[in-house]
Amino acid sequence: MAAIELEGLTKRFGDVVAVDGLDLTVEEGEIFGFLGPNGAGKSTTIDILLDFIRPTGGTATVLGYDAQSEGLAVRNRIGVLPDAYHVYDRLTGRQHVEFAIEMKGVDEDPDALLERVRVADAADRKAGGYSKGMRQRLILAMALVGDPELLILDEPSTGLDPNGAREMREIIRAENDRGTTVFFSSHIMEQVEAVCDRVAIIDDGHLVAVDTIDGLRDATEVGETLYVYVSALDDSVLERVRTLEGVGTAAIDDGRLRVTVDGVSKFAVLHAIDEITAVQDFSVVESSLEDLFVRYTNDRQEVEA
Amino acid sequence: MTWTAVAKKDFRDAVQSRALWALVGVFVVLSVLSTYAYVEAPALLGAATEATFGGLIFFTIGLVGLFVPLSAIVVCYKSLAGERELGSIKLLLSLPTTRGQVFVGKVVGRATVLAFGLGVGLVVGLGVGAALIGDLEAVALVVFVLATLSFVAVYATIVVGLSATTGSTSRATTLALGFFVVFELLWDAIPMGILYVLEGFSIPSTMPDWLYPLLQLSPSAAYFSSVVALLPNLADAANAESGQSGAGAQAAADAADPFYTSPEIGIAILLLWLLVPLAVGYYRFDASDL
Repeated sequence: MAAIELEGLTKRFGDVVAVDGLDLTVEEGEIFGFLGPNGAGKSTTIDILLDFIRPTGGTATVLGYDAQSEGLAVRNRIGVLPDAYHVYDRLTGRQHVEFAIEMKGVDEDPDALLERVRVADAADRKAGGYSKGMRQRLILAMALVGDPELLILDEPSTGLDPNGAREMREIIRAENDRGTTVFFSSHIMEQVEAVCDRVAIIDDGHLVAVDTIDGLRDATEVGETLYVYVSALDDSVLERVRTLEGVGTAAIDDGRLRVTVDGVSKFAVLHAIDEITAVQDFSVVESSLEDLFVRYTNDRQEVEA
Repeated sequence: MTWTAVAKKDFRDAVQSRALWALVGVFVVLSVLSTYAYVEAPALLGAATEATFGGLIFFTIGLVGLFVPLSAIVVCYKSLAGERELGSIKLLLSLPTTRGQVFVGKVVGRATVLAFGLGVGLVVGLGVGAALIGDLEAVALVVFVLATLSFVAVYATIVVGLSATTGSTSRATTLALGFFVVFELLWDAIPMGILYVLEGFSIPSTMPDWLYPLLQLSPSAAYFSSVVALLPNLADAANAESGQSGAGAQAAADAADPFYTSPEIGIAILLLWLLVPLAVGYYRFDASDL
């Protein structure tokens, strides 16, 4: 059984088509990243999964239950961190978690959950005074109540500092290790890249790619790129570099050697190059999946323009 | 049943509202002042009639009839529209519940808040009155309090129901105030206006039977009639004519009159005001995109 199954999902708001014929399957047990620029239809899709809004066409099935007609069964089995939510300003952090515990009909310790997301210190303060990052942690604690089978997180790292974003990823991984399927959306590639098994890229209501991170890399020949300054650079050196293990492509670029690295450590490649010709200096251009993301979402706009 | 959890959370939240406590403060002061005025005024004016506890109850109805609609608007107008506008409804509806449960929980939570605030005011006001008069009619008091709590529940349902139809608090405000203006401020005049037109632009000397139930459509008029129907002896003693709030509606209930001209119609109308907003509010809330 799939954790999430969308078939021809469509949502129109008047003349605007927010989501257009989306087909997507998220398997149980995976961490799935739902990626797209702002306004691409990510939140609309998630809002349909949660039955906040009703589709104008197609179906959405969550854990085998229809999101519209069996919404209660769905919400009994999932934990949610919604987008554009608002906390109850006059209730404390602990009261928020207690409320989720009562609504889910489970017996859990609110303080332990607050400890886990690191807002235990502020448990007795009113949530209206929380920072954006603290609110995000608080709602995550509410989502974790009852050990859900599926976590749906809409832009989970919004408002979190780098440390907070890392802790969020750690919690996502830990939950996944316990067998929880995680579906989360983001408009930032690197957050998705760090934890996801598979990624879907959505743009302008359409699905433009669904693959593993590696699959996306392979499909577009983007990996890590090394720029290496060497003492002697000519075609024969280039030929020998090309044959090295773990080198995807190699080229001469502006007096430097441009090498894409695939499957081995950058250090191993550098070391091998150094044996051919002395390495003087080098720089690394981090994963260009971000570029890939930009390319996927811009190509489409150019095609349509 | 998650509506109890929703109601509890809502009560916890709303009971911390400063506006609510300002309202309770105003009601306590008004209640004490008007009670004092009711008890002391006849003596000061040298009137023959003595202030009675029953009379005080009917006197208090007027105050409650104004206070409950206004405080219901203040406490309830944002109940659902506000949560939708802000987005906190997403937290609520991400949890294992349904929109119906949330709606009912909101009604119960807000009605409890209102009843709590009003209860404080009534206990203080009627307590002072009973001490001044030196009399307390326990049965009448219990009946009055129960009728008043029902009235509170009805008004909470009306305003929460209106709030459920929209995702904008400004629209919810307009709807709630509009309801108040039409059904509380202008309602005496509207049926009379209809009658005036129907009778060829003149006011007839005897009022037709249908005028009375129409006048009772105002929730506070229905509340007044309900108390008259439930406490007929006190009403006679206090000389309270049901529908007195209706200008010139002297269609007093005679034995031979149709059923709908008796004050019991007020109870039926209150019931209607409970069920119709529930149905309309739920229907609109359940069908909407949040």
